[in-house]
Amino acid sequence: MSATSPTLAPDRRPLRFLTFGLIAVIGLSGLTARLVYLQLDQGHQYAALSTVNHTVMQPIVAPRGLIYDRKGKLLVTNVPSFTVKLRPADLPLDQRDGVVAQLAALLSMDPADINEAIDANPGSRFDLVRIAQDVPEATARLISESGATLPGVDVSVDSRRNYLTGPLLSQIIGYEGAIPPDQYEKLRAEGYQPDDLIGRAGVEQTYETQLRGVYGTEEVERDASGRKLQVLSTVADPKPGDSLELTIDTQQQKLAQKALKWGMRKAGLRRGVLIVENPQTGEILAMVSLPTYDDNLFAKGISGKQFKVLANDPDKPFTNHAIAEHYPPGSTYKLVAGTGGLADRKITPTTRIHTAGFITLGGTRFYDWNHAGFGPCTIMCGFAHSSDTFFYQVAGMLGANRLAYWAHQYGFGKPTGIDLPGEVSGIVPDDKWKMETLGQPMFGGETYQAGIGQGYDVATPIQLITAYSALANGGKVLQPQVVRRVIGPDGSVVRGFKPIVKNRLPAKQSVLATMRRAARNVLLVRHTYNLVDMPIVMGGKSGTAEFGIRDSKGRLPFHSWFVAFVPKHAHKTKSDPTGMKAVSRTDAQLAVMVFAYDSQTLGNAATEIVKYYLMLHFGIKHDYRLPQLLRKSNFYQTSN
Amino acid sequence: MGVLSVEARVSSWATRSVGAVWRLYDLQLTIYAVLLAAFGLVMAYTNSVEDGSAVLDAESTFLRGLMWAAIAIVVFAAATAFDYKWLKTLAWPIYVANLGLLGLTLAVGSGVGGSARWVSVGPFTFQFSELAKILTIVVLANYLSARQGRLNSLPSILGACVLVAPAWILVMLQPDLGTSLVFAAVLAGMLFMSGASLRWLGALGAIAGAMVPFAWTHILHDYQRERLLSFLSPTPDIQGAGYQLYQSLIAVGSGGLTGKGLTNGTQNQLNFLPVQATDFVFAILADELGLFGALVLFALFAALLWRVLLCGWRSRDPFGLVFASGLATMILFQVLVNVGMVIGVMPITGIPLPFVTHGGASLISLALGLGVLQSINIRQTRAEW
Repeated sequence: MSATSPTLAPDRRPLRFLTFGLIAVIGLSGLTARLVYLQLDQGHQYAALSTVNHTVMQPIVAPRGLIYDRKGKLLVTNVPSFTVKLRPADLPLDQRDGVVAQLAALLSMDPADINEAIDANPGSRFDLVRIAQDVPEATARLISESGATLPGVDVSVDSRRNYLTGPLLSQIIGYEGAIPPDQYEKLRAEGYQPDDLIGRAGVEQTYETQLRGVYGTEEVERDASGRKLQVLSTVADPKPGDSLELTIDTQQQKLAQKALKWGMRKAGLRRGVLIVENPQTGEILAMVSLPTYDDNLFAKGISGKQFKVLANDPDKPFTNHAIAEHYPPGSTYKLVAGTGGLADRKITPTTRIHTAGFITLGGTRFYDWNHAGFGPCTIMCGFAHSSDTFFYQVAGMLGANRLAYWAHQYGFGKPTGIDLPGEVSGIVPDDKWKMETLGQPMFGGETYQAGIGQGYDVATPIQLITAYSALANGGKVLQPQVVRRVIGPDGSVVRGFKPIVKNRLPAKQSVLATMRRAARNVLLVRHTYNLVDMPIVMGGKSGTAEFGIRDSKGRLPFHSWFVAFVPKHAHKTKSDPTGMKAVSRTDAQLAVMVFAYDSQTLGNAATEIVKYYLMLHFGIKHDYRLPQLLRKSNFYQTSN
Repeated sequence: MGVLSVEARVSSWATRSVGAVWRLYDLQLTIYAVLLAAFGLVMAYTNSVEDGSAVLDAESTFLRGLMWAAIAIVVFAAATAFDYKWLKTLAWPIYVANLGLLGLTLAVGSGVGGSARWVSVGPFTFQFSELAKILTIVVLANYLSARQGRLNSLPSILGACVLVAPAWILVMLQPDLGTSLVFAAVLAGMLFMSGASLRWLGALGAIAGAMVPFAWTHILHDYQRERLLSFLSPTPDIQGAGYQLYQSLIAVGSGGLTGKGLTNGTQNQLNFLPVQATDFVFAILADELGLFGALVLFALFAALLWRVLLCGWRSRDPFGLVFASGLATMILFQVLVNVGMVIGVMPITGIPLPFVTHGGASLISLALGLGVLQSINIRQTRAEW
């Protein structure tokens, strides 16, 4: 058995045993004394502490409203998503780096993004901070099970937005994002939580209040330091947010995107806009701004790196170029001078004005794009051929302030009021504007430039289509809208659709009819090449606008524009072979505009894109496109 | 009857009747231990109820506690049946295995916030530093009992320190301040009880005291310092390091004389504690069972310590005396420091409350220690005193 040596008698020391026992007795007595003090003497005080802040009311997140297109097609849903959050108070400072590194590895994130999220937390240290959304289930389980090694980290099932159409509608629908720290104070009063998401772009932003719904309230048990332990009861159920029905027709949006993408690819364009509007109501049927982004990136949690790449892209994919940037409108703006000249009786429909290669004012030559001029021209001729010298003279007759007056009547120089965030107002120069801005009145030459949409003039694509819609519908300047109706969670209509008339043009119907016929004449004189050959009647106006810096040969880069309106019964008839009768009416069903940024092409790229969109829209099989016009060229005078 | 020779004792044990073995078996010791473990299970039950999980959920603290208790009973029985004298033979292999397990913990272990304390074994995680406490007691008991009578010499005392040092360092590296303090206490207690010179013990204590400032700045981590200091703070920083203590004091204080009743505690869901239901379980006990419950617990610990010391006193083998001293020191030290921490008179260190803290390693290590003690009891005749 045992291999040990014979055992000695143990060396028992009674005094030491006694001492040990004494230490035990003193120790346990000391603890008892302290317990008596805490539990009996101070007991009431602590009992009060443990119950006073015991229950609190806390909001329950309401399901966010959904978004549909005008035909009821679902565009945005909510899907369950594992969300990883962190409570900074529970994360000891010396462990932060380790926990962040561990989380970053588990979530395949950049540690810098996590640190940024923690530091940007608008709430207190006890409020949860959103770290990652849409975490794969396996990862979420791993994280929630390693709670011991990841102090302060919390995994919950939230819902996130699922943008079913992705980049197709990102510019319109937008996305949700964290509350900016500087806005939290204000939003907290409205019941927002520090880790709430809020609409940060598109209709997600403009209709935030409706989509958000009303948060419910629950009574929760908390510990004495204010942290949630359990839900005791639901005091008020959350009221789900209202849903939105867009004016957008997803099918038309797809066709518009297809047409714009084709033109941009052919012409090598970097930015472009295509808007389709119902000119009778102001409903936007399609609005494409390229380049774009995928709003699902935000719903799933965009990384700082991805965000920076998109935010630093010189072509600004986050920007809806249709509304948030203004550009010189070029010859499309001749609508303003033409309408003003006729309405102010500076010219009549039959007034002939001599057009030449240039006109001189104060010793300066103002050239026509056509250096030969067109000879004596009426408004029908001047508008159709887009004669610059014609409109210099009309602008001169009107003067800067009267020209500006008519621009304002058409809605230029101020936001259209479209229900999307970030709209800019454009500039309509007049003496007052120039005095305020540059301290001088308008010079005559500047008024000339203003008459042809150059110089100080800048406008947004949405302003341009609003103006031409007003022309097409007989003078109603409508507020464009992208949300048709707001639908309650029970299916009731919270807000129906109603066209909003911002202004009625103070011009006789005959004036507007003349301008519409002039727009038809643009096609008839083949200024827009074969557009007139399409089986659809339309009026339109092209524009090319110089901008930027001259190249070595003294030529400027330019943007191209085209805006068109299509009457109700658009197909050509024998009784109206020119389509003049059709455009005389005010029943236009469709307005389309394209803006092609920096389009250094042989022909007008925007016109080709509008043409292609209309082919797709009307299902025209014959291909009228002229891709050769989209070849690279810097000779902008080919089709002004 | 007179004292039997070793050979006679050894051979007589084999032929001894079951009844005779039972007379030597310390039933009281076992009963107090079982009652303490039952206390632990009751606390595991109340915790499971308040967690909101079904009590018999596979993941519930209670079910895990039951499983660990079952394993602990098996370990206890096995250790009792095992002839403790083999431990003397096996002292060196045990010593090496002990260091190996601690090294393994460092290498593959996981723990709270970057520390490495637990090793996963199948579905269970196991904290080897708990087992290391008992194994270290075994090794020290062997060393000190072999040197009985020579413990007045400094080399013998230093030898004991050197023996403990590697395990102590490995535990500090985890870092596990609590366990390393237990090692130090156990070493001191065993030296003291085995008759080491008080003069040298005093000198060693003074040196250790002098090293505290150095350890404070160079060995302890910030969070350890913060936790150690938080109990000194008159107005605890309730949003920082003092948070656990603040919650713990509210729990204990609001318990009053009789407590709020099991599962009725309001402060007891110490979900905010990273080590909830483990090191702070006494706070829940005091909240729900009040001062009475706490005193019953103290009484059981006192009774258990009494029986453990009595086993040591009666042991005819110096190994038994020294081993019992180590075990008693370990239990007493952990009770004083853990409860003291919960009620704000001791700094916060990760030291479990024996039997009550929900942790398999702690319970099984205690079962092993008490089993060895029973093995010592039943394998010798009673000393005549």
